[in-house]
Amino acid sequence: MAELDEIIHQPLRLKIMAALNALPAGAPGLEFARLKKLTGATDGNLGAHIETLSKAGYVTADKAFVGKKPQTTVTATALGRGAFARHVATLQDIIAGAGGRP
Amino acid sequence: MIDSEEASSALAEIKTIARKVRQSTIYQLSSVNLIMWGVLVFAGYVAIYFAPRTALWTWIGVAVVGSAGWLVIAAMQRRRAKVQTFNLRVLAAVLLFLAFGFFVVLLGHFRPHQIAAFWTIYFMLVYTIVGLWTGTAFVVIGLTVTALTLIGYFFVGEAFNLWMAAVNGGGLFLGGLWMRRE
Repeated sequence: MAELDEIIHQPLRLKIMAALNALPAGAPGLEFARLKKLTGATDGNLGAHIETLSKAGYVTADKAFVGKKPQTTVTATALGRGAFARHVATLQDIIAGAGGRP
Repeated sequence: MIDSEEASSALAEIKTIARKVRQSTIYQLSSVNLIMWGVLVFAGYVAIYFAPRTALWTWIGVAVVGSAGWLVIAAMQRRRAKVQTFNLRVLAAVLLFLAFGFFVVLLGHFRPHQIAAFWTIYFMLVYTIVGLWTGTAFVVIGLTVTALTLIGYFFVGEAFNLWMAAVNGGGLFLGGLWMRRE
């Protein structure tokens, strides 16, 4: 059985990756404010975990200005999508291995 | 390594987040259309209040402009968000919906206020039913506009078209703004 991805498995990072992977591939990512609302995280916490995912190459965080307001858009990379898919498959294997249904 | 209970909990969390993303995406995509139709419907009812004889051409104009806007918005959303909100099946559903509505109005020999009330409630029925799958906002908009339409039909009298401008047009517009926030 494959190992769980320890970078993704942290609760808030799991939510971030789940949110980004719910979008179709190639679609623009999620704005920071929207991710914050979806995950229920604080600004600092969310920023720190996005940084961790970014260093792992799982997401990109693009900063731009919309008018005069800075906006950060977080997008899952192909590497990140693959890692998330494997992580979900591992979770399902753990459940199946215990005789349950994912 | 984690146990199956923790794994189940993690998968449940993933499903919850995915459902929230889908709902907020639907709201975001729908909000633009609601705002557009809200403005057009508001303008239509106000125009009919001041020039009732132009009702047919006014609504034809609203339908043409609104449909064109709907196609433009769908094209932009497909390009930007990689989400297809319009296809032939949607078009067929809309045409069948409209055809049934026209048959009912024709066979029922509706008077002007009855036509206005019927079409509004008919559209809001779709909002309410769709909302059972896509999100509460649609249900709230559908039921609220329906209730206010009925109040206007039975109690407002000659100012009915102005009432509908506020209720139907305003309801869609405010509903669209609410969805953008959600």
